[in-house]
Amino acid sequence: MSTRQRAVLLVLPALVPVAAVVGAALVSAVLLSLGLTPLVGQPELSLDAWRAAAGDLGTATRLSLGIAAAATVLAAGVGLCLALAATAVVRRSRLLGALAALTIPVPHLVGAAAIGLLLADSGFLPRLLGVAPGDWPSLVGGQWWVAVVAEYAWKESAFVALVVGSVLASRARSYDETAALLGAGRWARFRYVTLPLAAPALGVASAVTFVYTLGSYEVAALLGRPYPEPLPVMAVRLAGSIDLAVRPQAAAVAVTTAVLALAAVLLALRALRRLSAWD
Amino acid sequence: MGLRKDPRAPHHSHARGGALHAGHAALAAWLVLPLVPLVLWAAADRWTAPAVLPQAWGTAGLRDAVDAGAGTGFLRSTVLGLVVAALATPLGAMAGRALATHRVPLGGAVLAVLLSPLVLPPFAVALGLDVLLLRLGVPSPVGVVLLLTVAALPYTTVLMRAAYAAHDRGFEDEARTLGATARQTVFHVQLPLLAPALAGAAFLAFLVGWSDYVVTLLVGGGQLVTLPLLVASAAAATGNEAQVAVLSLSSVLPPLVLLVAVGLVGRRARA
Amino acid sequence: MSGTLELRGLTRVHAAGQPPALAGFTLDVPAGSCVAVLGPSGSGKSTVLRLTAGLDSPDGGSVLLDGRDLAGVPPERRGMAMVFQRPLLFPHLSVRDNVAFADRVRGVPRRQARERAEHHLELVALRGYGDRPARALSGGQEQRVALARALAAEPRVLLLDEPFSALDTTLREEMHDLLADLRVRLDPTVLLVTHDPAEADALADTVAVLDGGRLQQAGPMRELYAAPASLAVSRLLGGRTEVPGTVRDGVHSSVLGALAVPRPVPDGPGVLVVRPEAVRVTSPADPAADATGTVVRVRRRGLRALVAVEVPGPGGASVEAELATGEELPAGRTVGLVLPVADRAVVPPVDGTPSDAARSPISHG
Repeated sequence: MSTRQRAVLLVLPALVPVAAVVGAALVSAVLLSLGLTPLVGQPELSLDAWRAAAGDLGTATRLSLGIAAAATVLAAGVGLCLALAATAVVRRSRLLGALAALTIPVPHLVGAAAIGLLLADSGFLPRLLGVAPGDWPSLVGGQWWVAVVAEYAWKESAFVALVVGSVLASRARSYDETAALLGAGRWARFRYVTLPLAAPALGVASAVTFVYTLGSYEVAALLGRPYPEPLPVMAVRLAGSIDLAVRPQAAAVAVTTAVLALAAVLLALRALRRLSAWD
Repeated sequence: MGLRKDPRAPHHSHARGGALHAGHAALAAWLVLPLVPLVLWAAADRWTAPAVLPQAWGTAGLRDAVDAGAGTGFLRSTVLGLVVAALATPLGAMAGRALATHRVPLGGAVLAVLLSPLVLPPFAVALGLDVLLLRLGVPSPVGVVLLLTVAALPYTTVLMRAAYAAHDRGFEDEARTLGATARQTVFHVQLPLLAPALAGAAFLAFLVGWSDYVVTLLVGGGQLVTLPLLVASAAAATGNEAQVAVLSLSSVLPPLVLLVAVGLVGRRARA
Repeated sequence: MSGTLELRGLTRVHAAGQPPALAGFTLDVPAGSCVAVLGPSGSGKSTVLRLTAGLDSPDGGSVLLDGRDLAGVPPERRGMAMVFQRPLLFPHLSVRDNVAFADRVRGVPRRQARERAEHHLELVALRGYGDRPARALSGGQEQRVALARALAAEPRVLLLDEPFSALDTTLREEMHDLLADLRVRLDPTVLLVTHDPAEADALADTVAVLDGGRLQQAGPMRELYAAPASLAVSRLLGGRTEVPGTVRDGVHSSVLGALAVPRPVPDGPGVLVVRPEAVRVTSPADPAADATGTVVRVRRRGLRALVAVEVPGPGGASVEAELATGEELPAGRTVGLVLPVADRAVVPPVDGTPSDAARSPISHG
């Protein structure tokens, strides 16, 4: 058996289920959204589902992109600070590294429940600050989706810190010393050495955060407001509807989200390729 | 480096040191603060606003959680996590090995396909497949396991690919020259050397199954009531914060214990 | 641009209770000179550089640059540049931007910094390599770029931490020539750390031998070869003959007989050391012979052969000698040995530590 054949045999058990599930899911969703595989009635190619969903689809898309962008920016900023503090050559904080690592296995759903208990108008934070429930802005279920963004930023900042921190820990020290010996001060070392070294990892982690947030259902469902809805909430509501005729609309929303996620990843990959001269 | 004195220490003014401490404290608060009300509520029988601490401590939350089915939910989530880990870890290890050490035809494209579940929203995959699984008559727990295994494969593949890429084949060559068969080499040299990476991959795969909500909700069709489903239904209602807190904590603790265990495996392997 | 570096009583203890990595180390590096710190691994020689560069701070002693104490001055403001054994080229920058790094962080406009970088690349014979990514170079080229990058920082002292020891012999010699050339053109002050006596000999004006964190001897290489101050120095420089004996009135008495010593030595026990190159092998009947013995081992060393001659007597003694080019001697032959007076040196015996005794060639026979 050639090494090529061996390699194919090793990779197939993983490749087949992934390709089958992803391919079948996408094809099935597209067909359903186009009216070709209806649960009731005759198959007929039509854009009815897309037309019916169009109005809310636009709002939902803007909202989803907005939430994902806000959460990603916050998570990347805080995560970078965490990574720097956890790997700093001077005054390294092991505690922050450990806390960030311990946040990783907390499920997003639990994070949402925790943020709800923290930020609701009778939650822990207003009590801690001594603000009466009536004076507390509606962060949970409010107009600005603060609690939703906060939950994603909280969880994903730990993820960003872990990814960026591992890169910095492995290469930061020796390059930092070399730069110092070439006359670079604290800020110059950050600007010209640490940040460029961390940038590819930061970019990848941010892209993953953005795509995850875009497609995640439970946090927005739990901490958001009933209307308008982000894409995943809209899709799941339509899919669970008693009216089987709206199923194709749910499929249309799912296809839209998948296309957006794919586009975001492709854009991120292009930007990253430009950003880094190395792998 | 803990013992090394800081060469730049004399240049830290007190103001800068203070700002640094304030920054570290703010970051620590950011990480810890959301979990504080969870812990307090879990042990609170009565905690009405505006009190900063519960007025009465007790186990009402625990009782409510058990009544809501926390026991069986916990068991189902554990089994789901273990099954997903048991499937996704070996498959990811094999694919990772192939991608790292052998010539896979169209390796880049293969890797892209294996990573695609990371990009596609799980709810979209679940919605798309739901109807199909229904038509094919696949039992819903099998469908859930299939989808979650596919969702876990990107993590296990990437992790094991990196581990195999960093793995020094010299050890295996040495074992073969010392008379070990190919099979013995895998089990006595390769796998022990890769134990930390395997433990990490299994942990991530377990997490995927353990903490999933939306796939279980959409594909499980309400038959598979796991711990996250209980958390969500409790959190959607009002006035049962203690129960939410207990359910939430019980879905955080097992992964935390596992995380520490995985860390210990890694440390022992390095020592 | 080149400064005068003085190290005064530098001491560094890494962990309490352990022997110091460096103890009371004092060394002068005059402006424009090249001083090598020579020592085996673990001798503390890298600690000297880290303390000098400010990457580590001493537990005692001071680093003076042009008379100014550098205590508390961070590495980036010390006006030193260091080349490590690993090139550590910044992977996110091109070759040119690596060399331009010091200028860029000093605020020199990008254009000007790049022009200067180009000039420094020419200095290390890498003109035209500027656009390449730092990772697309061979090991020797990487180390040249690292050198150019350090020189472009216009350091007052250039620190070299075994910069060439990862290179193969040919490349290493090329780098030695390059550094010698750069010294002529730029006159930098250089502090070099190495474990290779040949490298120290090729590059440095003065060599300081370090062993166990303590300075053993400092001076021109020629002087260290002629009159090593200790067994450690003699061994580090490749000395293999060690004959224990006693000194009285300038005469060393041992198995080899009574041999006059060229330099004044205090009376008492002393070990006679002679470099193999200095020993002349002659016929046993030669009246000039200081001792006679039997060839017990022959080792080839290029065109020349190195022979070990066993001299009989209480305890015996082994003397190593390098033969003239083309000369051959079989093992078992009885020969005479001439130890020229000027090449004899007597060093204090190591005070009876068994490990040192076991390491000495005498007990191996």
